[in-house]
Amino acid sequence: MTTIKVDEDACVGCGSCVEDCPNDVYELDQEHGKTVVVNSEDCMACLSCHEICPSQALEHDNIHVAKRLYIDRKVSNALKKII
Amino acid sequence: MEIEREEIKGDFKPELIPSETGGDIEDYEEALHVLMKFVGSMASALEQVSGRGANAIVYQAGKRMGHEAGKLTEKTDNLEKALDELGEILGIDFYFEMWKPSDQEGYTIEKGDETVVKLLFMDCVVRQTLRRTGLPQKGPLCYLLYGYMVGAVEEVMDIKGKLDIDHVGPNACLKTLTIKWGGK
Repeated sequence: MTTIKVDEDACVGCGSCVEDCPNDVYELDQEHGKTVVVNSEDCMACLSCHEICPSQALEHDNIHVAKRLYIDRKVSNALKKII
Repeated sequence: MEIEREEIKGDFKPELIPSETGGDIEDYEEALHVLMKFVGSMASALEQVSGRGANAIVYQAGKRMGHEAGKLTEKTDNLEKALDELGEILGIDFYFEMWKPSDQEGYTIEKGDETVVKLLFMDCVVRQTLRRTGLPQKGPLCYLLYGYMVGAVEEVMDIKGKLDIDHVGPNACLKTLTIKWGGK
């Protein structure tokens, strides 16, 4: 089963993940102003929440990670040397 | 930076089919990236020229491919069996599974003379191409997969089908396949 971790220190409580998730996996805890996971069993690991989160506060474990053939390894290797 | 190219020399007769394609994995990777850029630009230009008509053109192309792919498998009336077999044919390039929300009992829902099933596409070469070329999802190129899937299901089950895009994400896309019983 998919496990979703929210880094509470990083989450800014913008609610973008709550808005974007098609399966209502997240809710915004109004009291603390942070995202909470309420329905992880409906997560289909589309990772739209990762893309929209401005603070990279989310982590999904035990998911199928799609192949990333679009990554140019030559460019990545060149960047590694710089960064 | 100068690019080093290794020239391969050998004998070749056009009437002989070489047993090996030549080149190593990096050559294929380079070719794949060129092809991705090429297909991406083509889809983008098609949309620029034809507007929304681009979707229909690409859909027809995908459907034709789907019908061809569907011919490789046995015909069946069982949707779940058909999808299992199509999963093997579409293979690793379009790796999909049936999906349902946790509160739903089975994968399929019957609605009058229609059966609805949700499909989760995890690996998809169309998504890879769109990300390589910086194009948005749900555009004409997504209709290629749409047509491909519908064509394949129509061929295997001999019925009419349609696929709607529910949600697109960087790692998976959810689509709803609706098939209409009662022939084409």
